[in-house]
Order: sequence, then structure tokens, then C-alpha cells
Amino acid sequence: MSRTGALRVFAPSLFVFALSIAGLLLGSYWQYVLALSISAAVIGTALAMIVSYARCITIATGAMLAIGAYGAALPVVRLDVPFLVALLFATALGGLAGLILAVPGVRFRSHNLAMVTFVFQAVVIIVLRQSKGLTGGAEGLPIPAPVVFGFRFSSDADFLLLCGFLSALVILPLIVLLEGALGKNLRAVAANESAARAFGINVNRHLIAAFVWSSAVIACAGAIMAPRYRIIDPDSYGILASILALAYPIVGGMGSPWGGLVGGAVLRALPEVLRPLADYLELMFCILVVATIIFFPGGFGSFVTGTFRRKPAKLETSARSEPRRAVHDFISDMNILGRREVRPPQDRSRSTPILRISGVTKSYGALRAVSHVSFDVTAQTIHGLMGPNGAGKTTLFNIVSGLNASDEGQVLFDGTPLDDVPVESRIKLGMSRTFQHAAVFDKLSCVDNVLIGLGLNDIWQASVRSVHMAMHSQRARAERKAAMAALDAVGLAHRAREGAGSLSLGDQRRLEIARAIVSCPRIILLDEPVSGVSVEEAAGLRELLLRINRELGTGMVVIEHNISFLVSLCNRISVMSDGRIIAEGDPDVVVNDALVRRAYFGEREISA
Amino acid sequence: MLSELLMIVVGGLKMGAIYSLTAIGIVVIHKATRTVNFAHGAFVLCGAYVTYGIVEVLQFGWWAAFVLASLAGGLLAAVVELGILRPIRQADSFAVITATIFIGIGISDIYRLLQNTEILAVRSMIRGAPLFIGDAMITREQIAVVGGAMAVALIGVALFAYAKFGRGMRAMASNPRGAVLCGYSSDAMNALAWFVGGAMAGVAGSFAAPSTGVTAELSVAMVTAGFAAAVIGGFDSLRGALLGGLILGVCETLAAGYVSSAMKNAVSFLLIFIILLWRPQGLFPEAKIRHV
Amino acid sequence: MAISTRIRRRTVLQGMGAGVAAGVLGTWPRQASADEKQGITDTEILIGALGPITGPTAFIGGPARDGMALAIEKINEAGPINGRKLRLVYEHAATPAESVAAAKKLTENDNVFILVLASGSTGAAAAADYVRSAKIPTYNIFGATPIIREPFARNVFHGSMPDPVVTGSGMVDEVFKAVPNIKKVGVLAGTYAFPQANLKAMTPILQKRNLEVVLEQFDAAATDYTAQLVSFARQRVQAIIVLGSFTEAGFAIKQAPDKGLTDVAWVLDGSGTNDAIVSIIGKENSTNLRGYYNAPYFPSQTDAPIQGFMKVWIAKYGQPPQGRPNLYDIVAYGCTYVMAQAIKGAGRDLNWTSLMDSWEKLKNAKPSDMGGYDVTFPETVTSTDHQGNKLIGPAQIVNGKWKVVP
Repeated sequence: MSRTGALRVFAPSLFVFALSIAGLLLGSYWQYVLALSISAAVIGTALAMIVSYARCITIATGAMLAIGAYGAALPVVRLDVPFLVALLFATALGGLAGLILAVPGVRFRSHNLAMVTFVFQAVVIIVLRQSKGLTGGAEGLPIPAPVVFGFRFSSDADFLLLCGFLSALVILPLIVLLEGALGKNLRAVAANESAARAFGINVNRHLIAAFVWSSAVIACAGAIMAPRYRIIDPDSYGILASILALAYPIVGGMGSPWGGLVGGAVLRALPEVLRPLADYLELMFCILVVATIIFFPGGFGSFVTGTFRRKPAKLETSARSEPRRAVHDFISDMNILGRREVRPPQDRSRSTPILRISGVTKSYGALRAVSHVSFDVTAQTIHGLMGPNGAGKTTLFNIVSGLNASDEGQVLFDGTPLDDVPVESRIKLGMSRTFQHAAVFDKLSCVDNVLIGLGLNDIWQASVRSVHMAMHSQRARAERKAAMAALDAVGLAHRAREGAGSLSLGDQRRLEIARAIVSCPRIILLDEPVSGVSVEEAAGLRELLLRINRELGTGMVVIEHNISFLVSLCNRISVMSDGRIIAEGDPDVVVNDALVRRAYFGEREISA
Repeated sequence: MLSELLMIVVGGLKMGAIYSLTAIGIVVIHKATRTVNFAHGAFVLCGAYVTYGIVEVLQFGWWAAFVLASLAGGLLAAVVELGILRPIRQADSFAVITATIFIGIGISDIYRLLQNTEILAVRSMIRGAPLFIGDAMITREQIAVVGGAMAVALIGVALFAYAKFGRGMRAMASNPRGAVLCGYSSDAMNALAWFVGGAMAGVAGSFAAPSTGVTAELSVAMVTAGFAAAVIGGFDSLRGALLGGLILGVCETLAAGYVSSAMKNAVSFLLIFIILLWRPQGLFPEAKIRHV
Repeated sequence: MAISTRIRRRTVLQGMGAGVAAGVLGTWPRQASADEKQGITDTEILIGALGPITGPTAFIGGPARDGMALAIEKINEAGPINGRKLRLVYEHAATPAESVAAAKKLTENDNVFILVLASGSTGAAAAADYVRSAKIPTYNIFGATPIIREPFARNVFHGSMPDPVVTGSGMVDEVFKAVPNIKKVGVLAGTYAFPQANLKAMTPILQKRNLEVVLEQFDAAATDYTAQLVSFARQRVQAIIVLGSFTEAGFAIKQAPDKGLTDVAWVLDGSGTNDAIVSIIGKENSTNLRGYYNAPYFPSQTDAPIQGFMKVWIAKYGQPPQGRPNLYDIVAYGCTYVMAQAIKGAGRDLNWTSLMDSWEKLKNAKPSDMGGYDVTFPETVTSTDHQGNKLIGPAQIVNGKWKVVP
């Protein structure tokens, strides 16, 4: 495990460096081409972060390359700054440019974000072109060969080695982040923003970080390569360069950093290899990209891994591994993390409300979805919430978990008002949730889903944890053990490494529960945990929830239409209809309440 | 001074009207099929190329050019939709958006391979002495382009709002499953929406051809301008797109006239950016109640 | 024995390594480095050329390829040069990065004997910097920017396009021909490389001749010039110099009367004087236009040399599309003949040194010396001055067609 983890992180760098060494045996023209390829591999890897992981379209790659190229060349040419210092400066400048682009940019998504990157691209090129005194303008800026510690890298072989070495170095931190917590969080954001936020991922900060890192690395690649072009001009870094670079991760594969890396290396070399077809090259390039999108969605990378990866046996998908361990063991595993005092269930005091909802109101236009709802949830109890469709249950959950703001009223968690607590921080208070439409992060493995559930996801923590994961540190192992324990607790340990998207609906709900409990929350909001789940599975889930409640002392609020499930699970039930609470009390009493029966069941009878 | 301003504004309106037409096509396609179409510039190019063929090569009248250019733009768009995008619509919007980017470049490149020359020039639609408002001179061509493009744009807006297929498209946009149940075929409606959007682009190409000529670069220039106009207008509002195009056109020429001609594009792009920051939903967002 | 096994093992290792790397690249490369006699066999001389054949500047590289191929075909038909025929390898290159790649490929992989740079300024400049170190004889036929010319390199020769100072003063002369007592001149310059190089060279010339200058700029392929023209009108310029392509100049001139610029004289640069400009601005507006051409005849002129050229061009490539053959067809054709003459002068013992010696002896070299049509200016080269041609053809529109008016 440890060895494969380290290999995962170092392999791309080793590959890039090995490529440059192997290139020493080639003729000097091919060495030049290989250097171009390596530089494109770096760009592709950096784009993997934005394009493959965060699923944002960026058309600012050319501008970032230009910022790097000019950012390193100008200090060298004008101020005689040593190449390596200039390179560092250019990289930092690229990061800063990424920040300037992303801070306003991440307010948008999809095509609007693409538009912002386009504006950035256009403006950077115009500014470079117009600052003639500094940049030489459209006529270009001649650049000398790089000199490092007195050695002049002027031959192709020397330069290839330098390029390979620096490229290997610069993609290393990127891979650490991509393969680590930050990368997983970005994929979670791309899969489901609401769910990501509910588990403490600040979406905008993550996207900003992605832009900063990837821009810095792209700028660095631009800075390394620029001296080899001998002269740089703004138009070389135009919109077309950006669009061609966008193809690297798309064609190469969106599933891992390798897609961008190999995609960049191959696509950059393609025009050189296919020189006899130069007239048709651009057209062929476009056809290649569109064909990839149609026939190999996810890129050639996914196609390759899909072909070679051992498919899980059909039997496994239906078989279930029974939880092998008591939830108690899970608690002790959690204690390794030492991040929260898990209160054992002895001091169950049913009197203190962990959650107090008072007068919460929310309207959408003329529709009043939630209207002056008040109720308390006692600590360490299971509180049911039922009501017909459109009663406002999910809206209430969204208010409590912070995804929506209420118009009026207040939610107190353990005595603290939640008004000013952003959704991303609520998991740290001890609140987690599941979603009505199972919201697992489908591109991530089960265990990664649960790792996100730990809620250690603010941008700094995510970065530090990425390093821990790469180093396979004590802490990373403990986290993983906790995640495995949570998976084991819901009976999914045997599928830990499979993609969450491949699970059955029932298993996805189990996974959601594992993700919700792994942080040892004090309360879990469960939104229809057994909808679409078979009867046996529902019974299993009920047992699981009861055990978690009993052994961990976790409080729960459960929305469910399955009345018998709810009655057999809950200590207390509230009933909502048309945005209001119409009844509350012991389960048996509530379901027999005439008002509830009329509002909820209409002429239907209780089936079980 | 004032007459100079008027001339600058009218000059901007002329390009702006063409941007409007392009933007409306983008918005029609987006409203009906939820597809952000970056290949739209290629449809404009197609319309402009057909216009060149009709007006300059075959020497037919302008009416023939308008009809055939819109037909050509529409057919090209429908082919792109049915042949390429339909299979990937099931996948995420990301795939579709990126596909349209490359489809647009690919089509422009096909044009370049067909016609390897710097530019195909197209004569003016209308000639004659210019009109004067005070000292300001306004040409008949400016009036014809602004008036004509606005008329087509308004027809497009009206069709989408009132005609049967417009209703179908709106139904498809707001509730695809419901629309199918009501007897609309989703493939047919999608193709129709693309045809209409492409036809608008084709007409935009006809109007653009005399003032821009036909070049492969026309595609990128028009898609960026049309797209910017749509964003300014709120992206889902036809009226917004119409006004957005005019605003963009006027701002471009004002920037070139009063800030710096070399920074023309930079200034107009920054303007878009500021509008986006100030009103992320655009200047004229469609009133909409969405239940999440 | 020991040595031979070591070599053999090294060779095997090298082979394996190269195989791996080549597998990655998808091709099998040839080991190579440039040398004095490369690209020459007993019967053949390999000529390498690079220029943009796709992208926005494809109108330069495509015609260049056609013009060179035409000239080489005719030269070979007329008989081998000292027993050797010419063969052309043409590679696509637009940006500096692509130009360096193409120059390297031609020099180090294809081992061409001579390199012809048929690309725009920045591309040629990047390649020129490379060829200075590679020492391969290089013929820059289109690049105008000083970056290619300085510092002087013995192996780099320049063809039909003169230094921008020459064209700049030529254009200022035209301005004075159009408006003899001119005080205020407008300059409308593109923001891309070629116009900017011209602008830089022209600015001191305008100052020296005491002209007040109003500068307006535009982005490549701009089509709307309202703001720039209104500014010129406001400041009452008497003549406007356009530094940009004929499409850009064409739209600016077309829109000028609407903006109150009715009796202004226009002076265009070499890429602006193209017959297709008339179809943009209309025949009736094409009266007060001047400019220069980088060749003695426009394709539409009736003089014998250009008519002969048109005939062979059409015989090879068929009826031309609008705008072809253009200046780049003509210059590439003419320059190829000049290059062939330099090769011929080097004799049977051909190598880089003998070629450069021969090239530096060229005096008034022109296509007709080897049976071609004199559609370019003759070139003269010395050991201290590698600029073959220093002439430009002052041009005016006559009956809707450009004409060189000496």
C-alpha cells in the first residue's frame, strides 16, 4: 500500500525525467520536439486540475504561458537576473495571475466562467502587445539560452535534460495535490457542489486554489520553454494556443493526472510527427477531439484503464458483506484521529435539545415552502420528519444544514445560533447529512467518499492532508483506517476501492451514511435514507442506524415516506404539511392522529 | 463634437446589430436545448460564404442571399446537432460545450481548406448619398444593416414567443419530459431549435459580409462577440441578447474613439467583465422562478 | 576486442533507448547533425523551406510553396545545375516555436542544403536566430523586421523584401507626391508584428521631414474603423499611411467617406497594395490611393514578364481563385531563381562555403538569367551587405487595378 502510494505520486515525475533521459539518444531535432512534448505534458497535467478534476473550461492557458514566458524572460533580459530566480518569479507571477483570474471568476460556472477566462486571455495578450517599451510588443522579445550556475544550456540535449528535470520537479507538488485530498475535493465539487459544501468543502476557495496552482505550473512551463523558442511574441500565446491546450486532458483522459500528461505529450508531438499532413492538421485535431468526446467519453485514458482494469465480478455487486465489527471498534478507530472526543452513550440525557428550530420561514416567490416551523431535537435521539411531497421537509433540511438561508427564524445547535455559521463550517460543529437523491461523489472511490466525510476540508487542511497522503504518514493512515472502519460499519468495506458511481442505490445510501458518520457528528440529517431501497436493505439500514445511535450517541433527524420504517426507528416524530408542523409526538400517537391521516394519507391506509 | 459622437454611436450600432443577431441565435439554441454553442461563429461564416456565392459569384439579388444564407446556416446547425451532438447530449454539459468549441474551429478550417485566400469581398447592400443629421453623416448602408438586422432579430424574438414551434421549444427547455408527453419529439425539437438558431446566424453572416468580408477568422470574431452580447443580456433572454449586442457594438467603438484604438478589444472585454461582476445574471435576466 | 564489445553494447543500449523514445514519439528518428555538404548527392540538391500553410497567415506560406515549386520545376526542366536537380521540402511553421521546430527538422533531420524562410516576421526571426548557430545557408525572402538582419550573419541572405527603413522612406515619398505641401499625416497601424516593425522604422523618418503625425491603431483582421477615422477627420489629416494588410486598409478606406474623410490621400504598404482591395472599396472610391509593391509588376499588369509568369502559373495550378497568385507567389518564384543562380555559381564542388562565396558575388541576379520571367527586382549581394534587393515599386491604382508607376 505504502509503496504503491508513493509510486502514484512520483511516477509522473519519474516518467517525465526518464523521457528526457531517453531523449538523449535521439537526434537534436527530436530532442527539441521532446522538450516541447514534455512542456506540453506539464501544461496538460496542470490543466487536469482545472479541466478534468474541477470540470471547468479555461481558455486562459495561453495567457498563463505568456505570463510565465515574459515573467521569466524580462528579468533575465532587462535586469540580468539569474535564470532560476527568474523562473521562480515567473511561477509566482503565474500563481498571482491565477488568483486575479479566479477570485472574480469562480463566482461563475460553466460557460460564464469560460467567458471570464477568455476575457483574461484577451486582455493579457493586448497588454503584452501594447507595452512595447517593456515587452518588445508584437515584434517579439529575443531571449538568450538559460544559464544555470554558470553553465549555458544551449544545445538541445542540455536543454532537454534541464527541461525534463525542472518539469519533473514542478509537477511533483501538483501530483501530490491531485492525488491527495485537494484533488478528491475538487472531484467532489464537480460531482455535487451541495454535497461537497455540506462536508466542509469551500467550493470557491477550492476552485481558486485549483486556478492558482495550475496557473503557476503553466507559467513555469512557459518560462522553462521560452528560451528554446529564441524569440517570444504575444500572438504565439493567443486564443488558439489556449484552445489546443484544452484538448490535452480531454483527449488524454479525464480520470487521472496521467490523462493530461500523456495527452499533452502526444498531442504536442503530433504536428511534428504528421508534418506531411500539415495542411489538414488543424482539422484533424478538431476531429480527433470531437471523436474522443463522442466515442471515448472521459478520454483515451479512461478507455485504456476501462479495458485493462479487472471488472468486479458480477456476484460481488449483489452480495453484501455483513458488518464484521461493532460500531464500538469504529469509535476506537476514530479516537486514533484524536480530533473529537466521542462521547460514549452512557450519559444519554434526553432533556437537552441538540437542535432547536424556532420560527423558521422560507419563501420562493409567492410559494411559502416553510412557514414558522419550530421543534426541538433532543440530543442522542432519533427524530422523524414526515409529510406529503412538497411539505417543505427538504427545504427545512437545507436551511438547517446551511445550504439555504431562511427568511425568518433561527436554528440553534447545542445552544449556538447557526445564522452566521456558513454551511462549510457546520460539519466541524458536529452536523452532517445525507441527501434525498443519493449524492455520492460518483467519480471517487467509496473510501475517498468517506474520507471527504471527515470534514477536514478547508483549503489549508486539504493541502496539508494531501502531503500527508503522499507521504503516507501516521495521520493519513489513521484517517484511512477510520474511513475503512466507517465503511466496514455499513458493510461496504469490501468495495472500498470501487467507484461510488458503480454502487447500487441501496449501497449508495449506505455509503452516504458511512460518509455522514465518519466524522462522529452529534447529529445527522437523513433525507429519505431508504427511498428506492429494497425491503431487506431497508431493514438492514434501520438496524445500522439504530446501532449508530445506540453505540455512538449520535442524534438523527430522519425524513422518510416509509412510515413503518420511521415508526420503528424514531423516538419522536414531527409531521409537516404545506410548510407547517401539524403534529408532533410519539410515533405511534402521531401516525394515528386524525389530522395527520387526513393531510398525509388521504384516503390511503397504512400498509404495514 | 456631438455629431462626432453620433457618428461613432451609429458606427457601433451597425456592428452591434450583427452581434445581436448572432447572440439571439446562441440564446435560442441555449434556451431550447440547454446547449452552450461555441460553434455558432461557424454558422455565421457559412452564411457569409453563401452570401458571397450568391451576390458576387452568381450575381443574384440580396433577397436570394438572405434566404439561402439562412437556409444554409440552419441546415449546417441541424446537421451538427443531429450528427454530432445528439449522441453526446446524455453526457454532461461539459462534454457538449467543449465539443462545440472544436466543431467551430473545425468548420472554419474546412472553409480555409476550400478557399485558401485572404478574404472574399462582398459589395455593399445599398449605395447612394449619405444622410446628414446636423454635421453627422449616416450612410444608407448603416441604416439598412441596423434596420434589417433589427427587423430579423425582432422576428426571431416574436417567433420564439408566439409561434407554435417556439412554444414547443420553450416547453422542451423548461420540462423536457413533460414536453415529450405532450407529443413533442425531443430530437425533432432540438434539431428545429438548432435550425432556427443556425438560420439566425446565417442571416447575421449575410449582414456581416459587406462590412467584414468572408474570412476564416470571421467565425471566432463573431462567436466571441455574439457570446459576449448574450452574456451581457443574461444568456437566457432574447431581448437581452438583442440589447446586449447593441451595447457591445457601441461600447467597442466608443472605447476605440475615446480611450485608445489599440485597446479597443481590451476595453470592451473589461466592460463585459465588469457587467458580469456587477450583475452576474446579466443586464436583462429572464424573470424566472425555479424550484430547487 | 574490449572496445568493440563496449561499442556494441552501447549501440544496443542506444538502440533500445531510442526505440523506447521513438515509440513514445510514434516515429523512428534519424540521427543527424548539420554539415557543409549535406543535402547534396551527385544528382540532387535538397532545398528546405518553411512558412505558414494553415492558420491566419496561410496566404503567405501557401503561395510561397507554390511559387517555389513552380520555379524549381522550370529550373529543372531547363536542365540540371552542374549536373544536379533541385528538390523542395516545404514545412509548415507559423509561430516562433513552430519555426524553430521546422528549421531544426529541415536542417538536422532532412539534412537540406539550403534553408528558405518564407514566413512572417516573428517566425522568421526565431528561425534566423537558430540558423545563425547552425551555419546553414539561409535565404530570408519575406521577413522585414530588423531582428532577422541584425546582428549580421554570413550565412543569412535577404531577398526581395528590403529593410523597413527603405520601405518607410518610400512611403513617406509617396505621401509627398500625393500632397506636396503636407503638414499633418495620419498613420493607421496594425498592432501585430509586421506593421509594428514598419511603424518603428518609419517614425523617425516622419519626424525628420517635419510632419505632424496622428497615430491610430487596430487589431489584426479588424473590420470596423469608425473610431480611428473619426479621429483622423477631427484632426484634419491630409494623408493617411496604412500599415496593414489590404483587407484592413480596404475596410478603412471604404468607411472613410462616411466619417467625413472625403479628400484624403491614402498610402499603403506592400501588403496593402493588392488588387483585391478594389473589390472591397469599390472602383469609384479607389482614386486617391498610392503605395508600393515589392515587385516590379502586379499580377494584373500587361507587361510581358508578369504575363509569362501568369501563363506558367496557371498551366501548373489551374485557374486561380480570387486573390491568387499573389505577391508571395511572385517573390517566392523570383527568389528561387536567384538562389539557383548562387548555386550555379558555386560550381560542381558545392558546399556551404562555396555557395556563400558565390552568393556574395551575385550582381543583378534575376530569373531571366536562367530562363525565368523577371517578376522580381534583381538582387545584388556583397560580402558586407546581404540585402539582395533595395528597390520598391511605387504604385497607383489605374482603372481599378494596381500598377507600378516608376
